[in-house]
Amino acid sequence: MYGGGYIFEEPNNRQVREEMLHDEPEKLAAFEERIARGEKIEPGDWMPAEYRRQLIRLIEQHAHSEIIGALPEGTWITRAPGFKRKLALIAKVQDEIGHGQLLYNAAETLGKTREAMINDLLSGKSKYSNVFNYPAKTWADVTVIGFLIDAAAIVNQVANSKGSYGPYCRALERICYEESFHLKQGHDAFIELATGTPAQKEMLQDALNRWWKPIMHFFGPPDKASLHSEKLMQWKVKMASNDDMRNQFLDMYVPKIWELGLTLPDPLLRKNPETGRWEYSDPDWDEFFRVINGGGPCNEERLQVRKWAEEHGRWVRKALMKPAEKHSLPVA
Amino acid sequence: MSLDPRVNRLKLGDPNAVIKVEEGENWNVYEVFHQEKRGAHHEHVGCVHAPDPQLALIFAKEQFARRKKCVNLWVVKSADILAFDVEDEDMFANNLEKTYRDASGFKVMEKINKFKQSSKGTTDVK
Amino acid sequence: MLNKAITDLLTKMADDELILGHRNSEWTGLGPVMEEDIAFSSMAQDKIGHSWALFRILEELPEGRPADLNAFCRPEAAFKCCHLVEYPNSGYDFSLMRHFLFDQAEAVRYESLQESSFEPLQQLSKKVKGELKYHTLHANAWILQLSKAGEESYDRMQTALNEIMALAAGIFEPARDYEQALIDEKVYPGEKELYNRWLDRIYPVLVKASLNLPDLNAIAPAYGGRTGQHTPYLGPLLKEMGEVFNLDTAANW
Repeated sequence: MYGGGYIFEEPNNRQVREEMLHDEPEKLAAFEERIARGEKIEPGDWMPAEYRRQLIRLIEQHAHSEIIGALPEGTWITRAPGFKRKLALIAKVQDEIGHGQLLYNAAETLGKTREAMINDLLSGKSKYSNVFNYPAKTWADVTVIGFLIDAAAIVNQVANSKGSYGPYCRALERICYEESFHLKQGHDAFIELATGTPAQKEMLQDALNRWWKPIMHFFGPPDKASLHSEKLMQWKVKMASNDDMRNQFLDMYVPKIWELGLTLPDPLLRKNPETGRWEYSDPDWDEFFRVINGGGPCNEERLQVRKWAEEHGRWVRKALMKPAEKHSLPVA
Repeated sequence: MSLDPRVNRLKLGDPNAVIKVEEGENWNVYEVFHQEKRGAHHEHVGCVHAPDPQLALIFAKEQFARRKKCVNLWVVKSADILAFDVEDEDMFANNLEKTYRDASGFKVMEKINKFKQSSKGTTDVK
Repeated sequence: MLNKAITDLLTKMADDELILGHRNSEWTGLGPVMEEDIAFSSMAQDKIGHSWALFRILEELPEGRPADLNAFCRPEAAFKCCHLVEYPNSGYDFSLMRHFLFDQAEAVRYESLQESSFEPLQQLSKKVKGELKYHTLHANAWILQLSKAGEESYDRMQTALNEIMALAAGIFEPARDYEQALIDEKVYPGEKELYNRWLDRIYPVLVKASLNLPDLNAIAPAYGGRTGQHTPYLGPLLKEMGEVFNLDTAANW
């Protein structure tokens, strides 16, 4: 699961212009026409260097978010209450790893190896969704993540699945299908607490209060502050604006929260009947940037755990390495 | 202390330690083809990283058939797949014009109707 | 009498699968490579799923308790799992070897149950057949490949086998009071018979992997689990597993 909470690298406009000069204008025109017609770009196609760079960055961050996202929910694998919840949670965390696998493959078709991407994650060079730098303190946190973070991710991923790069779209199609199971099981567990004992309800309200800010951050900074370029929209790398996606999410899910008698910790949150848009308090964007740059409550632990996994799995991988074999990237 | 009891059992290392994965450590890439039911074609569904075909197949089973209906899978090393270059797409371009390869290119009924029209009145059908 | 014997058999099988499934699920998200992470997680889910099915059979028996209550809030001494499944995951070598030895034993057990006179077990054994085929295929492939992949990897496999063999032999601890009744009534062929069938199954794989089977006469099988005597690892595991459920066992979760 993933949101628009990543920061696109600001295109170096001079570099892009120069590349375009070198990049044979006819090829660029044909590439842009193809996208405008709604056709997909495939790995062997000619593409502008900037398109390749931004896509690698986007898909790689998405992949990292999946395998890091497996950690906060994994926190409750050994404590999930009852057979059904236990199995559903393991299956869900497993799916996140599966999504990571699909996405790393999609990014690899653009020329960056899985190993290079993992290294950039471990060194902190490459980012992942901010939301996973927050702790899952109680069982109720898992239900909030499973319901609302997955719901938000679906809004983002459905938009991205209509993008221009074939392998990414195909991976997202499968991912969205599985996310609908996540959302359903999350919603089910969420409702169980919301309609349960007073203690369960309190536990859920508490988790909801704690997660609301990261959820508001999930789609990234407001449009007026974010640097998405028109080029990325034209190339169908970025498919919807952060504010539009946030608004769509609020429209779909706030009523589902309120209908259960739960509250959200923002007195200004309301849908403006005239504009049809949601209004809300400023969710502290300074915190967003602080967390993305390593200052969140769990950044250190998340990377430490990934490092542990890579380090302790190394002997298995190395034992079966075949250095003499010809290696290749995925074909599609 | 982590909130995750699993993590507390791991004995995590130094957070500043530099951990690097070597190129090739995630093995080679195999393309996966999925057969949904007997009699159907195998369709490409993605790929797995694996050290050899046997483990590729074992991995593919759970990554590509743990939900969807499936009766068999193929795996083949990506490096062994031969495809045309994208620039060669024009080789396929005029297929549609070669109507002599296509059932729709032959207007049998038109001819029969024309024959029936023209022979009306000149021949008695008994 | 037979009812008690069947309850005993079902409980030890259900506990084994629950505890090992729980242990193996701890690897989800932390495995050596994503593809294997996914495969190993599926098999952990299968084990917990088998356990759930067994607890539901128990639930239907006279004096049966709801599956969740039985699994998530029973005192430690009432658990009948073997010691093998209780040990924490010390490394992937340990977990893989345990997976190989346990799943081969499980396969042998369920195969024998296809002829069980106890209908629900017979049905379950047919249902899990395909899953267990995959589990043993997966386990055999890993044991063979890692044992043939250089010195370090081979040593790890041999060391794990040496450490685990006595624990694995403990899977086949006969039921003290019920064994003969279960055999006589053709519920299952008995632990001694399953042990021999299991050795026949693992031996050729170990030979192919050039691993040395420890001297079976020199090892003392880790018995005790079937009568409620456990390693120090089970108590904390159960406490953790039931932590949320036991906040309110009457509530729906």
